[in-house]
Amino acid sequence: MTKGSPLSLVIVALVALPALYLDFVLYQAGTGWIALIFLIIIALFVFVYLSPSAYTFRYLFPGLFGFALFVIFPLLYTVLISFTKYSSQNLLPLERVISLLRQETFSTGGSTFQYKLFKQSDTQYILYLQDEKDPARRFASDPFDLTVSTGSHAISLLDPQPLQPLPPGQQPPGQPLEMPQVTRAKLFIPMRGRQFVLPDDKLVSMEGLQKFSTRDRLWILNPDRTLTNRKDGTIIRPDFRTGFFVNEKGQRYGVGFRVFSGFENYMRIVTDPRIQGPFVRIFVWTVTFSALSVLSSFGVGVLIAVILEWKEVRFRGIYRTLLILPYAVPAVLSILIFKGLFNQEFGAVNEFLRAMFHFAPEWETNPWGARVMLLLVNVWLGYPYMMLISTGMLQSIPVTIYEASAIDGSNPLKDFYHITLPLIIPPLLPILISSFAFNFNNFNLIYLLTAGGPKMVGGGIAGETDLLVNYTFNIAFRDSGTNYGLASAVATLLFIIVGTLAWINLRMSGRRI
Amino acid sequence: MTTVQTPRKEESQTGTVRKRLTPTQKIAIRKVLAHAFLIGFIILVLVPFIMVISASFRKGNFAPSELIPDKISLEHWKFVLGIPYQEVVNPATGETRIVKAATPPLLWFWNSIKVSFIASAGIIFLSGSAAYGFARLYFKFRSATLGTLLILQMFPMVLALVAFYVILDFTGQYIPWLGLNTQPGLIMIYLGGISSYIWMIKGYFETIPPSMEESARIDGATQFQTFIRILLPISAPIFAVVFILAFIGYMSEYPVASVVLQSSDNWTLAVGANSFLYEQEKLWGRFSALAVLSGVPITVIFLLCQRFIVGGLVSGGVKE
Repeated sequence: MTKGSPLSLVIVALVALPALYLDFVLYQAGTGWIALIFLIIIALFVFVYLSPSAYTFRYLFPGLFGFALFVIFPLLYTVLISFTKYSSQNLLPLERVISLLRQETFSTGGSTFQYKLFKQSDTQYILYLQDEKDPARRFASDPFDLTVSTGSHAISLLDPQPLQPLPPGQQPPGQPLEMPQVTRAKLFIPMRGRQFVLPDDKLVSMEGLQKFSTRDRLWILNPDRTLTNRKDGTIIRPDFRTGFFVNEKGQRYGVGFRVFSGFENYMRIVTDPRIQGPFVRIFVWTVTFSALSVLSSFGVGVLIAVILEWKEVRFRGIYRTLLILPYAVPAVLSILIFKGLFNQEFGAVNEFLRAMFHFAPEWETNPWGARVMLLLVNVWLGYPYMMLISTGMLQSIPVTIYEASAIDGSNPLKDFYHITLPLIIPPLLPILISSFAFNFNNFNLIYLLTAGGPKMVGGGIAGETDLLVNYTFNIAFRDSGTNYGLASAVATLLFIIVGTLAWINLRMSGRRI
Repeated sequence: MTTVQTPRKEESQTGTVRKRLTPTQKIAIRKVLAHAFLIGFIILVLVPFIMVISASFRKGNFAPSELIPDKISLEHWKFVLGIPYQEVVNPATGETRIVKAATPPLLWFWNSIKVSFIASAGIIFLSGSAAYGFARLYFKFRSATLGTLLILQMFPMVLALVAFYVILDFTGQYIPWLGLNTQPGLIMIYLGGISSYIWMIKGYFETIPPSMEESARIDGATQFQTFIRILLPISAPIFAVVFILAFIGYMSEYPVASVVLQSSDNWTLAVGANSFLYEQEKLWGRFSALAVLSGVPITVIFLLCQRFIVGGLVSGGVKE
């Protein structure tokens, strides 16, 4: 394959040709930049797989391409968003907000039109208009979809449908509907929300049941992106600090748009007490949770591994298999099972504790109870992995060391602290660090077991057991949140923390890569 | 136990415990302690599973809390398997209704298997070929690229959800079967998580001396042929490990799947299982039946491949 055999040519062509066609479709759809980037990727692909000089990259290309698209791009995108104001209040790009404002109209008492709807198919119609005063002025639209949309705001987001003048004597294709058919709610409701635009840029929309009338756009777009109100002459301009259109007095108009906001989101994390307070507490809990999880599951794992390495114990194979179970069962299922077992009123754990010790901890409503529960469950989930890797390390320790120490009159406990631990911890350190990093971002456990609860008093959407990653998720996706900008800023900080950990890890483990 | 306790009593009187015991007695005590500890731990491990099995056969939707169900019923199993069954709506009048799952929960398990299987196969292909490049070929910035891969992968998938949403929304406009709410779209996103697997496979490749491939090259094999014919067959164990680890990881993945897949016939096991546990109404019985049904095969596969996995974890993770 090195010298470009016919087979490799065919394979490259089989991938490249559909990709080129797709690129053409992208270009036609008006996504110029993306089409260009895609084209470069295709060219790179052809070059890598046909040029002998790029041979090495034939092995790397698919993996690195996937990595770039699904890891690097989301990362950069998130960092980019973290520097913008982007939330449920400032959702749309500026251009969309302008076109929404430009759809606002007021009645000018201009021309009125009689109208007919020509049915094309089940959902497609053509609108036909005839000026009441000047019957020669006739217009028709292109076929458009007319269906009841579920969300009411979805209608206003549609762009006005253009109307073309109709040459004399010509009729639109299809059958015109009778009036009773038109006024049925199924057609009438979506029709009422539609706007159409005449060739002279005047908007027309339905007025009453019988007529269409011209309506003028309320706002004129000036070249400097300001808008002038035609009724009272107010000028509004986009305020790039708040992401809203404002008049001279600072009054807001319309919906907000996304704006570049520099370090504002980051400053909010540091200075805004409503965010800073929960952030610091959650950060401390995240670090504590990760450290305790690693330490305790490592402790339990090593202990079991050491016992299982002791040749005198019988049935070690059965024990080992049973002890690996928590690692073998899909974690989602185990976590949800524990959610049931730790149920405060009816769960098995509390029933048992009540029966034995007359004591029922509040796993759900008390922050400390919830934290203890999370740690217990996490140790249960995490120790088999630690056990497996320490078993591997233990087996590589020569038996002679223990024999020598036995001659010196040692005991198992001393052996454990003075021989075993010092020998296995350094090589396992990278795994312990990456396990720390894993728990630092252990979204699933918290989300499925406590969902962050109980709520932090005065912490807004923050919960007492939320990890940073869950907190970020809440800011971005929970109903009361939807602040993508802020969430991305927290995510970026999180990445810096965990990335640094990974880097340290790499330094410690990788003398040679 | 009696043999263990007698020497102890003597000690508590004299205060010099250890020296009085003969070595055989010491070992006997330790053995008993070891067994007791292990059995105690195994009980902690097994009880939750036994309770779930019991809850799946218990009438009504109760949280798992009994080792043996008091009233046995197969209703949850029927529901999960998509078999209709009769349920008494009003005990006073004896009125009944037929219950049948709109989307048989078994479908979620099947979806999960499909998605995880294809994604893991893709991972094998992508990370295997990349690992070969990193292990056997030399190019500029090789170690820098490897390090970067590992560090960038630390960015949690959950936080990239906004970007994933944007990507799938975009692809869906042009390739409908690859957009939001499609399993291929989800699989595509899963294929990004390759770097730790690249590291594992590369670590394994490096333990194989290149001399065999070199002699094959001398005999006229191309580089590609030495990779496919020589290195790959020897490395089958590490590929098995990567496949199983990736597979189990994807079976358990919740957040991305829950955002990407919206309609219930597309759901994966994790999304579907969690959907039984709403805040208002927790259907523990149905959840338990689904958990047992889907958990058992995966667990068995894992245990059968245990030896491979342990070997792979140690060689891929700890190798210096």
